[in-house]
Amino acid sequence: MIDDFRFDYRNIYKQYRRKQVLSDVSISLSNSDCYIITGENGAGKTTLLRILAGIEKPDRASISINQAAQKPWRSCRPRLSKSVMYLHQQPYMLSGSVRRNLEYTARLNAALIDKNAAVDQVMLWAGLEHLMTQNAVSLSGGQQQRVALARARLRNPQLLLLDEPTANLDTDGRGRTLLMLKTIRESGTAILISTHDPNIFTELEAHSLHLVEQKLIDKKAATGKISDFSSYQKSRGL
Amino acid sequence: MPGNQSNSLVDVLLASTLDAFRLLFSGNTDIWEIIGISFRVSSLAILFAIPPALMIAFALAYGNFFGRRFLISVFSTFLSIPAVVIGLTLFIILSRQGPMGDLGLLFTQKAMMMGQFLLCLPILVAMAHTSFQAADRRAWETARTLGASRFYAFVTVLYEIRFGLLAAMLAAYGRIISEVGASMMLGGNIAHYTRNIPTAIALETSKGNFAEGIALGLVLLFLAFLLNGLLHYVQGKGSIHP
Repeated sequence: MIDDFRFDYRNIYKQYRRKQVLSDVSISLSNSDCYIITGENGAGKTTLLRILAGIEKPDRASISINQAAQKPWRSCRPRLSKSVMYLHQQPYMLSGSVRRNLEYTARLNAALIDKNAAVDQVMLWAGLEHLMTQNAVSLSGGQQQRVALARARLRNPQLLLLDEPTANLDTDGRGRTLLMLKTIRESGTAILISTHDPNIFTELEAHSLHLVEQKLIDKKAATGKISDFSSYQKSRGL
Repeated sequence: MPGNQSNSLVDVLLASTLDAFRLLFSGNTDIWEIIGISFRVSSLAILFAIPPALMIAFALAYGNFFGRRFLISVFSTFLSIPAVVIGLTLFIILSRQGPMGDLGLLFTQKAMMMGQFLLCLPILVAMAHTSFQAADRRAWETARTLGASRFYAFVTVLYEIRFGLLAAMLAAYGRIISEVGASMMLGGNIAHYTRNIPTAIALETSKGNFAEGIALGLVLLFLAFLLNGLLHYVQGKGSIHP
């Protein structure tokens, strides 16, 4: 299980060539939280996830980790790289076998004592044992997604950010992804998923957010029940 | 008679080529010493050039800093710089009156290495930069998000583009082992010390010793075949076909 943690991202701003993409977006995440972010194409979902992961630089943002004082995004970046994992829409497979991909990840996780055993275990968990020696680059989209989630399991991040994880998957692949995400969440990892099809993730009992006009709003705001996302989080004490 | 003249030229060339093989395989120490100097100087030059070239190429591909585009065009321009111009520039710098004259490097193997270093650096940078650009940016991001340090992520990306990098190294090595201008000016073609294959070929040919020239030329030709063969093999390894 992952120790208690809490990330408070505040006042995220980002613009591309004079087009404002994110404006004053705030979000808090702690153990086993699960959020689904929807939004139109180009609304900024991927940008938001990449900023949260420490990959893309925002114009302005501050972060408080474990209720410490708010610090600028830049100074928290090393911590984000350490604790947050981002999964691309099409996961990148390192050249070589599936096993090499998993061993690479296991090597980077100092907390794993018996790395080989951990790799074997994760391969069974992800149903990859028969693909162990196959070149990861030549796998199907669904199989690559399983490798990516197996890497996430080995990495054991506090926060897992997934960009359209089911975009190119068939029904079976979606079902498997969902099951794997459930297990990852149960270990204490907070999950944030950007998607066009939130219905797929109903089983995760995730909270739905909508990115519209540069703001992150609670899905129910569309029906006028909750004005915006920050008021929802305040009501939860986040 | 023109026919007789061409026949005699062919005879001379054939005889010289036979002599060249005899020289190569009879254990002629002078020839093998020249070959040894060539390989030593060029191998060290490229070994010194590879680390900075990879770092520059990486910074040019992944960095976002002022003057990046200008630097890219500078390295592209230096791709076609004549070896004699590098030789001349370093000659001025290393000569007694030059800013680095006190070091006494002129007409040494170190000076030749410096020349070859400068010759292969732009090739390595330009070709490695292209490889980095062609590489998927997700390789870097994936390595980082899996918990790799910046250095380890850099090594990971290098491994991902290893075929392109090896092609760059082979092309750069091919360029410096066969260049004559810079080596001649900076090394001075001193026997048993700075005489390498290209400068020896130039000297022996001017003296009319075709056999030695051809023997050394054959070594270069064999090396060219070897490097090209390796290049094709390596590029085949990086094939998009399963």
